Amino acid sequence: MRALFVDDEREFLELMEKRLSRRGIEVSTAHDGLEGVKAVEEAAAAGALPDVVVMDVRMPGMDGLEALRRMKAVAATLPVVLLTGHASLGVAVEGMDLGAFDYMLKPVAINELILKMEEAARAAG
Amino acid sequence: MGVLDSLRNLLGRGPAQPDPEALAREEALKARLRERCARFRRLLSANKAALEGMSEAEALLSGGHPFGMDAVRALGTRVGASVYQMVRELNALSGNAYPELNDAFRRVHASVEACLARREHEEDVPLILPLADIRLQHMPLVGGKMANLGEVAANVGMDVPEGFAVTVAAYERFMQHNGLRDAINQRIQSTDLESLDAVFSLSASLQQLVQGASLPPELESALEAAVADMQRRLGPDLRLALRSSAVGEDGLGVTFAGQYRSELDVLPEEACDVWKEIIASKYSVTAMSYRFQRGIPDEAAPMCVGVLSMVRAEAGGVAYSRDPVAARQGREQVTLNAVPGLPQAVVDGGMTPDVFTFSRTNPPELLERQIAVKPFRLDCAPGCAQGVRRTPLSPEEGARACINDGQALHLARLALALEEFYNEPQDVEWALEMRDGASCLVVLQSRPLSESGDTAEAGRAEPLPDSIPASAILAQGGMTVSGGAAAGPLFVARKDADMLSFPKGGILVVERAHPRWAPLLPQAAAMISETGGMAGHLASVAREYGLPALFSLPDACSLLADGGMATLDADRAVVLRGEYPELLAGHEKPRNLMQGSPVQETLRNMAEFMTPLHLLDPESPEFAPASCRSFHDITRFCHEKAVELMFGENADVDQRAGKQLKAGVKLQYWVVDMDDGFSGPVTGPIVDLRDIACEPMQALWAGMTAVPWAGPPSSGAAGFMSVVFESAMNKDLESTAPAVMAEKNFFIISSKYMILQARYGYHFCTVECLAGDNQHENFVSFQFKGGAADAQRRERRARLIAELLEAEGFRVDVRKDALFAVAEGYDKQETLLRVRILGYLLIHTRQIDMIMLEEARVAAYRAKFEQDIAGLKTK
Repeated sequence: MRALFVDDEREFLELMEKRLSRRGIEVSTAHDGLEGVKAVEEAAAAGALPDVVVMDVRMPGMDGLEALRRMKAVAATLPVVLLTGHASLGVAVEGMDLGAFDYMLKPVAINELILKMEEAARAAG
Repeated sequence: MGVLDSLRNLLGRGPAQPDPEALAREEALKARLRERCARFRRLLSANKAALEGMSEAEALLSGGHPFGMDAVRALGTRVGASVYQMVRELNALSGNAYPELNDAFRRVHASVEACLARREHEEDVPLILPLADIRLQHMPLVGGKMANLGEVAANVGMDVPEGFAVTVAAYERFMQHNGLRDAINQRIQSTDLESLDAVFSLSASLQQLVQGASLPPELESALEAAVADMQRRLGPDLRLALRSSAVGEDGLGVTFAGQYRSELDVLPEEACDVWKEIIASKYSVTAMSYRFQRGIPDEAAPMCVGVLSMVRAEAGGVAYSRDPVAARQGREQVTLNAVPGLPQAVVDGGMTPDVFTFSRTNPPELLERQIAVKPFRLDCAPGCAQGVRRTPLSPEEGARACINDGQALHLARLALALEEFYNEPQDVEWALEMRDGASCLVVLQSRPLSESGDTAEAGRAEPLPDSIPASAILAQGGMTVSGGAAAGPLFVARKDADMLSFPKGGILVVERAHPRWAPLLPQAAAMISETGGMAGHLASVAREYGLPALFSLPDACSLLADGGMATLDADRAVVLRGEYPELLAGHEKPRNLMQGSPVQETLRNMAEFMTPLHLLDPESPEFAPASCRSFHDITRFCHEKAVELMFGENADVDQRAGKQLKAGVKLQYWVVDMDDGFSGPVTGPIVDLRDIACEPMQALWAGMTAVPWAGPPSSGAAGFMSVVFESAMNKDLESTAPAVMAEKNFFIISSKYMILQARYGYHFCTVECLAGDNQHENFVSFQFKGGAADAQRRERRARLIAELLEAEGFRVDVRKDALFAVAEGYDKQETLLRVRILGYLLIHTRQIDMIMLEEARVAAYRAKFEQDIAGLKTK
């Protein structure tokens, strides 16, 4: 499985890269919404979209919801899981309305996250 | 058209005559089915997550475990997001048949959000309020300390320092100006507040954040103008004391004792910077742990600051109008603590003070005078840490009483007057100031006294029982600042880093009773200090937590350094080696500190829109989105409708890709593989049991066939019932036989997941199971309803099955003739064993409702069931 992680917390990204690659998941990273959208656009142009995107909501510059909107415009079936430390039901609902596969809260157990990523990838594929 | 005809039409041609069109159609149907199964499964797992969140909310409400606002918000979000998933999946499954569910969701969502919304402060609150204008009713704007001070000055006619309050509006403006609220919440939410280690680093980062922020210009100029005004009135030598005045302490027995910083001897031009430091102290480890323990959300504790002219104290201390510890022992008295210089040494617990006790009569009579040897005094000194200088006292100076009896009497009267005014015992911080050669008593603050946590009867301090040898005494004496007794390992803490290795349930031993130890108290069984008195902040917190505490115990750190198991009996002021249950008896556990706290109230309000279930009867016209008043109602509706869509009369699953199960002969079960439930590709309309790779299904099947079924109980109806009944074991009922009553038994499976929707005669049941390597996800649930007999017999059968399942670790809920049972959190093998037991019961409890009124036969059946279940476990 190939996953794109979009998050402004670099430590979190490093941790995910380390822990997920150990389980055979190929992780690429982006540090804010805009960078994430660019990554998706480039992947779409190359015909190699990731299997799943895991994205933070609150990020400087372009936030996760706006990035989600733009990603869906590029690749409507791309599964995006929102993963945030900011608990807000309003944001969760907005995200799901924009087509997010699910909304999860940090901190998340790594196994739970992987199950969700697999489920999202399966649902799309 | 019957089920079988449909299946034959669809799939019956077999691989021998491949028809590309039919194959393509089949493929498309399978793809559609896979998608629907995945949606259904997501709906079920969202259902489970939502129900789990609801029971978590109930558990939090009933338990005494502390939780923060972030946990409440996360819970609301998690449950709400899961419910919304269900709404989404149901509408996708049903072709958007229930658009009004979205309205129902938004309605409940809005109610939940309203509970979570922060209480905003009114816009027109001034940033600064002069003390002369402050009264008690301003408490929400200026905090408890300043509101009381204003009231005391205006209506009790006591001397207080001059000054003003920087209000809650200033605090809010500052937070808003710098975008601090979100930044802070985000960091708090991603921290485990129960881990002291994590709280330490969170505290550092939050204080840095606050101190690095800038004051909004309008606040800066208002503060500077107010200080300049004071300077004009009081002269150029003006020094300030900036004291925190927390909002939210009233009405909960919450004291915030010593939680926040005060800064003394501040130069007027430093006021703005120091104000920020005090705001930052809101995020000290001590204060954050305390709020967490007491269920006070960050945003419910805005910080106000009192800016007061500095009192040049000759002596100072604390007065208790009614000594809580003495009161516990049956003595009614006023107790005064006094130290030379600033009263800080009393509240910080750093010194054993002079103690005066008075009767609570009018006039008060001096009962006792204990003059301690004070090793130093604290005075204002600009440039020193917190504006305070420490001057050593000679033994001679130190042994002198720091106030005379007349001043003490004056103070006792004042404390009683304050109690009378507030109509409850007061804790008064005071200072003696020389003004023009005469001593003047100044009230620095007055607040309600926190009660001693242990509500034991008076006069408990009896001698030690004879069973306890004198040799067990490790230390004796000191001052009981919070009563009770507790046992635990002794732990001497000397520096902050020691906090991290403090053992849960230990007895904390420290040299100085400084408030910085407060974060350890929730984990401690008891505490002991070499210094400090009843009036210290740490003593207040210990009483608040109901923690036995003995202070001013000389040489405690060296006497108790060995770290062994010990018992502190604070009432008898003795520390014993070992554990003495006879001393501990009768001391109740500390009270539930969350009770009535703002966090708990928020959760309670929110739970009102989450957990109650109003939609009970699917047949009723009320069973509709418009009637949904809680998240639970919505989940119930979605679940019911989804099951109906997948399996009900008009369901489309049976006509699509279900494969008929064959175990030797073809059976009345259809199997739908949603993922990897078959061991290989299965072509054609039949799947052999041997090709089923779903472990839960195999386990269920093993249970169903483990013990041959003897047939329905003989009764008048048996002739009819035996026709209705079709068994997995009954070889006479092959699928080619015309179905007397159409059975709809379906498995949806993957390798580790199974849901069975079955109808045995008149009984409808659902078995669902997930059994994988991830233990915390595993569960097996069982629901059934119905039967052929009358309601009474059906209910009795439901209760019999409930009892059998409860014995096997299921949580069971019986409502009339419906039963819901779930066992979760077991490892894979344990989960599968429970599935086998369910399989057995599924087959063997059918139709016993017919005999449920015949007690002897019920007993015989019960005995047989229990014996057979025991047999299943040994296999």
